[in-house]
Amino acid sequence: MKLLPTRPLRLPRLRTYVPRPSDPKIFWFNSERADIVDEVVRRIMERYDLEESAELALNDAAYHEIRRLESDKSEGAKRKLDYWRGIVRRVGRMSVEGKHETLREVAHAMAKDVAGNFDPRVYHFASRFLPGVLTAAMNPSNILQNVMGGGGRLDELVASEGPIDKIRHISRRGTVVLVPTHQSNLDSIALGWVLFREGLSPVVYGAGKNLFTNPIVSFFMHNLGAYRVDRRVKASLYKEILKAYSCVVIERGYHSLFFPGGTRSRSGALESHLKLGLAGTGVEAFARNRARGIDRPVYFVPATINYALVLEAETLIEDYLKEEGRARYIIEDDEFSRVERWVSFFNKFRGLDSVCVIRFGEPLDPFGNPVDEQGNSLAPDGRIIDASSYVSRRGTPSVDARRDAAYTRALGKVLAAAYQRETVVMPTQLVAHVVFRRLVRATPGLDLFSRLRHRGDIAIPYDELTAELGETRDRLVALEAAGKVHVSNFVRRQPPASILEGVLSTWSGYHATRQVVRLQSGSVIAEDLNLLLFYQNRLRPFALDIAGDDEADRTAAREIAGMEHHA
Amino acid sequence: MSPPVAVVGGGSFGRSLAQAAGRTGQRVILWSRHARELEGGESITSTTRLDDLREAELVFFAVPSPHVAALADELGRSLDGSHLLVHVSRGLLGPELATVSEVLGARTPCRRVGALAGPLVARNLAEGHPGGAIIGSRFPEVIEAVSDAIGGPSLRVYGTDDLTGVEIASALVGLVALALGYAQRLGMGPGTLAVLTTRGLAEATRVGEVRGGQARTFAGLAGAGDLIAAVAGDGRPEVEFGRALAEGLDLRVAAERAGAYIEGAALAAQVAAFGQRAAVDVPLAVGLARLMAGELSAGQLIEALMARPAKRE
Repeated sequence: MKLLPTRPLRLPRLRTYVPRPSDPKIFWFNSERADIVDEVVRRIMERYDLEESAELALNDAAYHEIRRLESDKSEGAKRKLDYWRGIVRRVGRMSVEGKHETLREVAHAMAKDVAGNFDPRVYHFASRFLPGVLTAAMNPSNILQNVMGGGGRLDELVASEGPIDKIRHISRRGTVVLVPTHQSNLDSIALGWVLFREGLSPVVYGAGKNLFTNPIVSFFMHNLGAYRVDRRVKASLYKEILKAYSCVVIERGYHSLFFPGGTRSRSGALESHLKLGLAGTGVEAFARNRARGIDRPVYFVPATINYALVLEAETLIEDYLKEEGRARYIIEDDEFSRVERWVSFFNKFRGLDSVCVIRFGEPLDPFGNPVDEQGNSLAPDGRIIDASSYVSRRGTPSVDARRDAAYTRALGKVLAAAYQRETVVMPTQLVAHVVFRRLVRATPGLDLFSRLRHRGDIAIPYDELTAELGETRDRLVALEAAGKVHVSNFVRRQPPASILEGVLSTWSGYHATRQVVRLQSGSVIAEDLNLLLFYQNRLRPFALDIAGDDEADRTAAREIAGMEHHA
Repeated sequence: MSPPVAVVGGGSFGRSLAQAAGRTGQRVILWSRHARELEGGESITSTTRLDDLREAELVFFAVPSPHVAALADELGRSLDGSHLLVHVSRGLLGPELATVSEVLGARTPCRRVGALAGPLVARNLAEGHPGGAIIGSRFPEVIEAVSDAIGGPSLRVYGTDDLTGVEIASALVGLVALALGYAQRLGMGPGTLAVLTTRGLAEATRVGEVRGGQARTFAGLAGAGDLIAAVAGDGRPEVEFGRALAEGLDLRVAAERAGAYIEGAALAAQVAAFGQRAAVDVPLAVGLARLMAGELSAGQLIEALMARPAKRE
C-alpha cells in the first residue's frame, strides 16, 4: 500500500553488492534497511501502546492527511483519501487489536517512505564523475577537458578547513552527527563533495521532499543515503516516525547530517536560536546505546558553510523581507531550479579564491563537551570524563525523554556559539557590511524598511571606502586572533583595493539583473540594499567589535547588532 | 545506601541548607574553606576538601556571586556529568546578566543544574519553620532530588522548568527587597510600599522575559511569593541592608549589619546597564544604582520614581 507519494527511481539489482571491510558503514545500509524500518515501527507501537493513544494517533493522522489530500487533484490522491476516510469511519468501532494493527500498517508505510537507500554504484559513479559534470556545468565551453580532468577545478572552488583529521579519526569510534549552518540548497552537494575529498564517510540525511521533485537530483539524493522528509505531512505520527528513524540510524552508527536551523537562513544571518529538531535524536541515540551497554559515542560536529555568493540570495532576502518566512516555508521556484543561474553562479567569482569555504568546528559530545583526538569527552579542566555519566543516575544509564530534551536545548546554545566562532568571513560580506554601515550612519534611528528605500542615495568615495574596508578588515583579523571568528584567505591577504575590486566584479557578474552597487565618478553607490543587507547580515554578531572608534560608527554598529531578525 | 547531599559554602545559607537536609535524614557533607562545627548531629560532616564531595549526587552551591566563577572552576575538577548541581544565589554575573546556572554549566562538567529560590531565609530554614521554596531546573531528576533532600512537612518544595525565570526573579526580588527596606526606614506608608513592590516586580518581569524567562514564574513563589515574605518581615538580610543604607551607613557597614553578602549592591548597576543596552525600562535599578553611587539622595530618588508618568499597568 502506498499512502504517500511514490518513491524515486532505483537501479535494478543485478548482483548483490558485498561491501569490503574498509568501506564506510553506510555501504551496509541496504542490507539493514528492512530491519531499521521494523525497529522504527516497533518503537512507534511501544509509544502508542495505550488504546486511546493509538486511536488518537490514527485520528490525528487521518485528519491531517485528509486536509492535505483534499486539495490534491491527482488520481492517486483520491485513493489515499478513501483510505483515510475509511479509517475515520471505522476506528471508533475497532477492537484494541484492530487499532493496533491499523496503526502498525500506517506506521510501516510511512517509515518505508521515509527510509533512504544507499547504492554504492551510484556513490562510486557520483564521486568519480559528478565533480567533472558539475565543473562542466560551470564552464560549458570547456566540457571535454573538465569531464576528463575530474574535480581539479572544484577543489579550488570549495575549500575546507578545521580539525578534519580528528573528525576522520573519531568517526571510526562513534557516530558523527554533522550539524552545519544552512544557507543554500547547494549546501548538501558541496558538503557531500568535501566529505568525499577529505576521506570522510558519506552521511545519511533528511532532505525536504521539494528537493525530490527534480528527477536527476532526486535520483542522486535518494541513492546516496538521503531519507525523505515531507514537510506537507503534518501528522504527529509522521513526526514521531522521523524522529525514531533518525535515532535508530544514529544508534546503529550511520554518520548523519542535519541542518539544525531547519531551513535555509532567509536573512543571510547565522542561525542563533537552534531547536535542533531531528539532530536532537543524537542525544537519545547515545542514551539508548548506553542503556543497552553499547559503547558507541555520538559526536556532534558543527560546521559553517560560507559562500561568497549565495545562489538563492535574491529570493531568500525577499522572502525574509516579506516576512513570509513561515507561509513560504517550502519555496518551489527559486534560483536553485534554474540552470542558467548555476552556470553564472560558478562562472562569476573571478578573483576570489574560493566561492565556498566549509569550516568544521571542534567535535562535541552530546552534552556540549569538547572531545580529545581519541574521542574522549573532556571536562573544562581538560580531564577525561565519562560521557555516560550524563545519562546515568546512581551508576545506571537510562533513557529519559525530558532529560534528553533539556540536554538538547543546552547543546543548541553551544552549537550556536560554535557557529559564530567558526564563521569564515567572505569578501562579499565584508564589503556589504562596510557599505551597509554607511547606510545606517546616514539614516540614524530609521526602521529597516524605511532604510531600505534609500536606494542609490549612499555614495562613498572609492578611496574612503577602501580605507574603511582596510580598517574593518584589520579589526576582523584581530578578532580572528582572539579566536572569535575566521576570515577567508582572500580577506586576510589582499590589499583593500583588490578586495573591493574582486567583490565588485563578482557581484556585477552574478547578480546581473540587479546591481548591488555601482561605480560613478569615483564613488561607490549602494544600489540593491536588500542584497547588501543579505550579505552583511552574516557579520551582524560582530558589528560592535569591528566598528570604528568614532561615535557615529559605534551608534550604527549598535543599530546593526540590534536589528530584528528571524533567521 | 543513597549518596550523601553535599553543600558548598559555609556561610549562613549553606549551613542552614545542611541542617535542613540533615533533618530529613540525609547524610550531609558541608564544604567550606575553614573547618566548621555544626549543630545537626552525626548526619552532617564538615570538610575543606572539595574532592570529598565526589560521592554525593546532589550538590548545593551556596556561594556569593563574586566567588562563583573561581569556585566553580575548582569544584568542577571533582565532579562529572552524574552530579546534580543546584545553587541558591541571588546574584547575576557580568554585563549580560549571566545567571549562576549558566556559569556553572560552562565552568564545570555538570549539565544537570538548577536554582533554589523563593521565600527562603537562612534562620527559618535552619530552624525548620514552615515555608515554601521553588526549584527551577530543566531536568526532572534535579527537581526530584531537591524535593527529596529538603522537602517535608514543614517545607513545601515546588518545581518549574523555567530555570532562567527563577534565577532572574530571585535576583531582582533581592533588589526590590533592598529598596523596600530603604523605603520602610524612610517612613513610607503602605500605599507607597505597594507601588514600589508591584512596580519592582513588573520591572523584574520585563528583565526576565528579555533574558528568556516566563512572566508566569514572576507571579509565583520565585517572584511575588518571595517578595510578599519580605514585606511581611521574614527578617531577610536585603531588607536589613536597605534600612541600614537609609540610615546613612556606608555600604560596608550596612553589609556588616545585614550579616550576609548582599548581591543587590552590585546588581543594581548591572541591571541598569543591561536595561540601557537591551532597551528595557528599569527605573528602580537605575535609581538604586545612582543612590548607591552617591549620585542621588533618598529624597531625590523617591521623587524621581514617583514623578514618573503613570502609564497603563
